[in-house]
Amino acid sequence: MPLLDALPTPRLRWEGRHPNVVLISLSLIMLVALWTFDAVSMAPNRIVSGTGYGALEAFGWPGALLATLLLCAIGLFAWEPSRRHYRALLAAIMMLMVLMPFGLLASHHLLLDPELPNARLGIGAAYWVTLFILLLCLVEVRLRLNLTRLWPTLLLSGVALIWWLCAALGLDNLALVQEFRARDRQFLSAVAQHVKLVSITVSVSIVLGLTLAMLMRRYARLQKGAFAVLNFLQTIPSLALFGLLLAPLAWLAANVPVLGQLGVSGIGTTPALIALIAYSLLPIVRNTYTALEQVSPETLEAAKGMGMRAGQRFWQVRLPLALPVLLEGVRITTVQAIGLTAVAALIGAGGLGTFIFQGLGQAAMDMVLLGALPILVLALVVDAGLGALAEALRPGGTQ
Amino acid sequence: MSNAFSVTQQRKQTPLWLWPLLWGALLLIGVVGIPSADSLFRWIEPDARQVIYDRADFHVLLARHMSVVAIAAIVTVVVGVLAGIAVTRRWGSDFLPLVAQLASLGQTFPPVAVLALAVPVLGFGTVPIIVALMLYGLLPIVRNTLAGLHGVDSDIKMAAHAMGMTPTQILRQVELPLAAPVILAGVRTSVTINIATAALGATVGASNLGDPIIAGIVNGNMAYVVQGALIIALLALTIDSLFELLHHHLRSRFSSSSAS
Repeated sequence: MPLLDALPTPRLRWEGRHPNVVLISLSLIMLVALWTFDAVSMAPNRIVSGTGYGALEAFGWPGALLATLLLCAIGLFAWEPSRRHYRALLAAIMMLMVLMPFGLLASHHLLLDPELPNARLGIGAAYWVTLFILLLCLVEVRLRLNLTRLWPTLLLSGVALIWWLCAALGLDNLALVQEFRARDRQFLSAVAQHVKLVSITVSVSIVLGLTLAMLMRRYARLQKGAFAVLNFLQTIPSLALFGLLLAPLAWLAANVPVLGQLGVSGIGTTPALIALIAYSLLPIVRNTYTALEQVSPETLEAAKGMGMRAGQRFWQVRLPLALPVLLEGVRITTVQAIGLTAVAALIGAGGLGTFIFQGLGQAAMDMVLLGALPILVLALVVDAGLGALAEALRPGGTQ
Repeated sequence: MSNAFSVTQQRKQTPLWLWPLLWGALLLIGVVGIPSADSLFRWIEPDARQVIYDRADFHVLLARHMSVVAIAAIVTVVVGVLAGIAVTRRWGSDFLPLVAQLASLGQTFPPVAVLALAVPVLGFGTVPIIVALMLYGLLPIVRNTLAGLHGVDSDIKMAAHAMGMTPTQILRQVELPLAAPVILAGVRTSVTINIATAALGATVGASNLGDPIIAGIVNGNMAYVVQGALIIALLALTIDSLFELLHHHLRSRFSSSSAS
């Protein structure tokens, strides 16, 4: 017995079963956020800033109790983690996300004054904090359960669909919905314009970037100069580059009639595209170059030994092996372009940035949200999608 | 041997300390000289009524710009490096997967969107731009701290442990010095990006070097845009070359101490 006491056994007992501190602390933060921050705010009209309401007033006691119980459940399941408990955690997180718009419906019902048809329901800090931390929980559970990126993406699209239905059918007085209703046509065309600008930028810079990277491999002297120029371009603030292109292009459009007829002008899409492509070249060229260079010489030697010609070696060995890193460059570029396109709205290129800057100008925060949230969602979706693609294309990864 | 040779040869070509001096001098000339370079900017905008941005002095704008970037940088370096250290210790290792994931995810949030979302919460002015810069600049630092600390050879740590060093001593005398160049590279990326991004603050009422650019775009006056962009680019180049110098200093000190 004394001998057994001397042995370091406690470590064994906790093996694999020690509480998941991450999820427990995240659930505690959410509980604190739920009970201290405002869940919703209510304003009589667009101009007046709203008054905040806590969880108890916003959801009534049944709703607040349900939310608290679910958050406690996350903490409790995390106390003794196992595969089954992680699945239960996933279910609890999803349940909370699905219930969120219904909470808004409840506060819509409880707080709305029927005499004020223009009243606006704002989403409060508690909502944003909880949503953000729930996403963190989802990431953590995904990592622990070893799920691929596909599952959370599918689940989240389901949740988004439910939010959309709730917003379309029941939440007439939600400030975001009202902003959207006031300019739905504009919003859709802004999204389309944003996507159009980003896709043109990315496809042109992929072609240009690949060509440039190939040239760099052939002519070593080009490499240093090109990287220096591209690096320098990145230090110019995006705002300034957009501005700097206004004058020369306006001059060109005025003095070379052919270009003017083609739609080149100082303001609008052309300078935006030029600046966006200039910024996008560095990540693409850098990643393509390193991707092509990092392929091990032994592999290429083996390919040569098998009797492959130079073209075959490039297309069948070097390129497939370089593809994941190359795609990583495309991913970085696309995400960066989505953000920069928002700035392009300042020079009249359209896109979702229009709402951000108009909203900032009018101090209408819901309009800012209407522009910023889709940009964020777009960036996250593209990031997840291209990340999943790169994961699938990794040689020998999933077969 | 060949390494030492190439270093000395490079020193002979262009001494590294010359670059920050050169860019800094150009920056100074720009700030002092722009108000009196009327004829030069008249050439860009021959028809404009006024070609020199005069709503604020350039040195004031530069000071504001630098202080915003500096505050954000100090906070991000402290928080980012501490977070990176915390999650690589044994007691914090539970948080490692989440923080690593976050560090790669955070680059996804476009700075404009972060800025736009910070304004409803924090109001107009300098505070939202500092917050946006902190959020955006934090992730390169965390990522590089993690990469740097992970890159330290476990045999070296084992040797330090065997020499009787405590975990704190190992961290301070072995891990951090070895990871320092990688961490510094993260700080450099973060600060360089933030110098350019801070110009966006002008759209939410934070007065800095973005002001002339916005005023130029709104009034269609190219000269203003050139002035703002020129000074921001020179500032970025000055700071970047300083980091290059620091990086070289760290490298050479490390290699000379290992050689002796």
